[in-house]
Amino acid sequence: MKLRRTMALMAAAALIAALLGGCGSEETSTKTTETTETTQATSMTDEERIVAAAKEGKVGNWGLGNEYEIQALLTKYGQSTDYLVQSFDMDGFDDGSITLASAMTYNELGLVVNDYEGGYKYGDSVGIIDMNDHGVAMLEDNIFCKKSFAEQNPNTVKAFLSASLKGWEYACNNTEEAAQIVYEAGSSVSSDHQKYMASEVAKLIKTDTKGNAVSDYGKMDPEAMQQTLDLAKKYIKLDDSAASEKLGTLTLDDIRDTSYLEAAKAGDFGTPEKTDVSIQLKWLPQAQFMGYYVAKAKGYYDEVGLNVNIVSGGGDIGETTAVNNGTVDFGVTWVSNLISANSGGMDLLEIAQIYQRSGLVLVYKK
Amino acid sequence: MNKLKRLTETKYFMTVLWIVIIIALWEIFAFIVAATKRTPENILPHLTGIMESVMSDRTINGGQTAIQMVMENAAATLSRAGIGYVVGIVCGFVLALLMSLWKPIEKIAFPYLMLIQMIPILGMAPIINALTGDIAVSRVAIAAILTFYPVATNTLAGFKAVQREKHELMYSYAANKFQIYTKTMIPACIPYFFTGLKISAPMAITASILVDTLQGGIGLGCLLSQALKGAMTRYVFWQIVFFSAIIGILSFSVMGLLEYILCPYKRTSKKEKE
Amino acid sequence: MTKRKLNFDSATSLLYPLIFGIVILMMWQCGVLHSIFRTDEYILPYPTRIFRIIIENFDKILENVNSSVFVIIIGLAAGSVLGYIAAIGATVSPKFGKGGLTVISAFNAIPIVAMAPVIMNWTKDVSSDAEVRSTVAKIIVVTLMCMASMSINAHRGLNELKPFSLDLMKSYAADNKTVFLKLRFPNSIPYIFTALKVSVPGSVITALVSEYFAEYRAGVGRQIRENILIAQYSTAWAYIVVACLIGIILFALLLAAEGIFLKRRKS
Repeated sequence: MKLRRTMALMAAAALIAALLGGCGSEETSTKTTETTETTQATSMTDEERIVAAAKEGKVGNWGLGNEYEIQALLTKYGQSTDYLVQSFDMDGFDDGSITLASAMTYNELGLVVNDYEGGYKYGDSVGIIDMNDHGVAMLEDNIFCKKSFAEQNPNTVKAFLSASLKGWEYACNNTEEAAQIVYEAGSSVSSDHQKYMASEVAKLIKTDTKGNAVSDYGKMDPEAMQQTLDLAKKYIKLDDSAASEKLGTLTLDDIRDTSYLEAAKAGDFGTPEKTDVSIQLKWLPQAQFMGYYVAKAKGYYDEVGLNVNIVSGGGDIGETTAVNNGTVDFGVTWVSNLISANSGGMDLLEIAQIYQRSGLVLVYKK
Repeated sequence: MNKLKRLTETKYFMTVLWIVIIIALWEIFAFIVAATKRTPENILPHLTGIMESVMSDRTINGGQTAIQMVMENAAATLSRAGIGYVVGIVCGFVLALLMSLWKPIEKIAFPYLMLIQMIPILGMAPIINALTGDIAVSRVAIAAILTFYPVATNTLAGFKAVQREKHELMYSYAANKFQIYTKTMIPACIPYFFTGLKISAPMAITASILVDTLQGGIGLGCLLSQALKGAMTRYVFWQIVFFSAIIGILSFSVMGLLEYILCPYKRTSKKEKE
Repeated sequence: MTKRKLNFDSATSLLYPLIFGIVILMMWQCGVLHSIFRTDEYILPYPTRIFRIIIENFDKILENVNSSVFVIIIGLAAGSVLGYIAAIGATVSPKFGKGGLTVISAFNAIPIVAMAPVIMNWTKDVSSDAEVRSTVAKIIVVTLMCMASMSINAHRGLNELKPFSLDLMKSYAADNKTVFLKLRFPNSIPYIFTALKVSVPGSVITALVSEYFAEYRAGVGRQIRENILIAQYSTAWAYIVVACLIGIILFALLLAAEGIFLKRRKS
């Protein structure tokens, strides 16, 4: 009797399993037909692709403050600003649930294209839509700190900038070595991917939004900064009316100060007021932040009398909060995130702009 | 045949059978997924694949193998969970004692205890972080807050359940409040206290992992979100899922064992029932 | 006399926490709380500001609340029903079933943060509409979380019967169905409520956390996380308050339902 019951139970379980399996295979078959349709239309323009994907609701982004450029792009081509939330892997792009997926040139794009571990091995069969080409680029990784911290420790700030920029310069000219330094500093990303990332990051630092070469590391290009601020004002939507009002009145002078950078470059600074400092990265330890790792490994920070602790990010407490709390002294964030933080009431100051052009692209299967 | 029958009647046979069924189902699905998906290891890898990744001695971050990384981060998370758990237990017990000693405290605190349970941890974390100024301390604090409630409510229930007669008997012996509590009330509420401990042990671990995801650094939660964000082989993620499940179950059973050892009277009463 | 005392008792049990709450709220509004916690009005905004945000964005908040509450209610219901069925199964076939209960309670020990992304991945094929598949995934996570407490408590309720009641039923030659309907089921009702008291707050938290990992941007939890990440603490607080309200209202409803059911049983 009992045995029979058990058998029945098991049969039921097997049935459910078979049913679910059947559904799965059915789905896949429809998917393959879809892909053949898209492969036929290879000669689409960027605009047509954006419109088509937006109409289907298959434009992906991670959200959480990374979405403004995508929203600006969608608006530019007359589409609604809704997007699909993309997880931090490229599975959604891979399985076709997202046709235009957000990717950073130095990270996700590499995973899509390349065939090292973790890669999706698409090679040349994917194309990209570059934010810089469409005039919706917003500046990304910078160095910032609290306004009051900069006022109280001007020499620390200048010394930190000077050493960090030296690190960046070395890293951009020796990307393989920089990638290795990052890898050994405890990166969890494979060393192949680090090398790819380092070379892509160097491009973002050495070229501006218009494609011109930049030799002045860390410079805060007024035009690109203004474009970032204008787009931010348009697309950052804040529910808090006080914050939203403040956002509307922000000017470049509220978010950045060039004097520290100029002094750092001129070597015009004394002994640091605070010698033990920390920097909070925006993301996991990877070559995106190689400048700081190189500056530390090569002893550039020691040269200016600083002891720097690099704190990795990737958690849910943003780097802006960490700096504002005083948990860390410096931070790396995107300009748009700094703008929304300052609108909310924080008093943060950008002291250098590391990335000179947007690294965000939309990737599609050709 | 008889032997087989005897085997099926042992206590552990059914649990083992269930585990076998689950493994079988997992593997069936894993085969389906492997046949239909491009990245099966992200959705449902074979259990053998996970085992292999545990055994593998390939380094994945400049010097550690996957399992070494998981273990190192687990140690950090578990120690925080442990400290938070102990702090939470002590606070919970003291509060329950206060609530039972003085009624208005119970009335004031009880609704708010429930309220704390409703506040999403992630919402509390930045505030606690700002308060302590140190992410490590706030991780411990949050684990403590989450363990605190089940311990406090269960212990309070224990105090209330002490029979009136016992209380009156002690009173007739002219025992003072301190004696009543140490001789009757506290021993009587121990089983309830352990119920609270059993509920909150997995919770402390879950909380600790969840809070890890708030800021980078060391901890299972950090590693979990890094693995999810594609920073390393996906098998690290699966290792963490299994590891945390096992630890969660173990923490529950360890508390059960502790109760078994510390409360001999409960053991005998159970036997009598049977 | 006793009635007056009772009234006094119930009045204070409402009054004391209320006074305490108001005092805290006043301290908060006047900035005393800020100096105690050494924080600024940025991380801990004033209640008036939080309240204003809730009023100003009422429609948007309601939309997110609807999405979360839908997941919570469906997940809670499905989890509780499945948990109860599992408990019945374990009662019918104790040996096989008890192992099953152990397995179900093991699910409870898996952290939500680990489970949510796995389930999200598994439900990718459910629908081509991101909203549908995200909702399904969230409901499954909540269901799994609610199953454990219900199955364990209901199993107790179905089996920890009054002494001799089962023998009495048997002596009446009652069949299994009658034993279940007349004895086991009524006996399990208080245990159902015990289980729900654990799973209602649990399901709220689970739903909010699983929203963090969902593809479709909806829900109170999602809003809390997004606003914290873009450093909008006042707005995040507004959603935290809303999340607490959801929990409190559901819990109050549960207590009311318990009162009605158990009273009827007593009389």
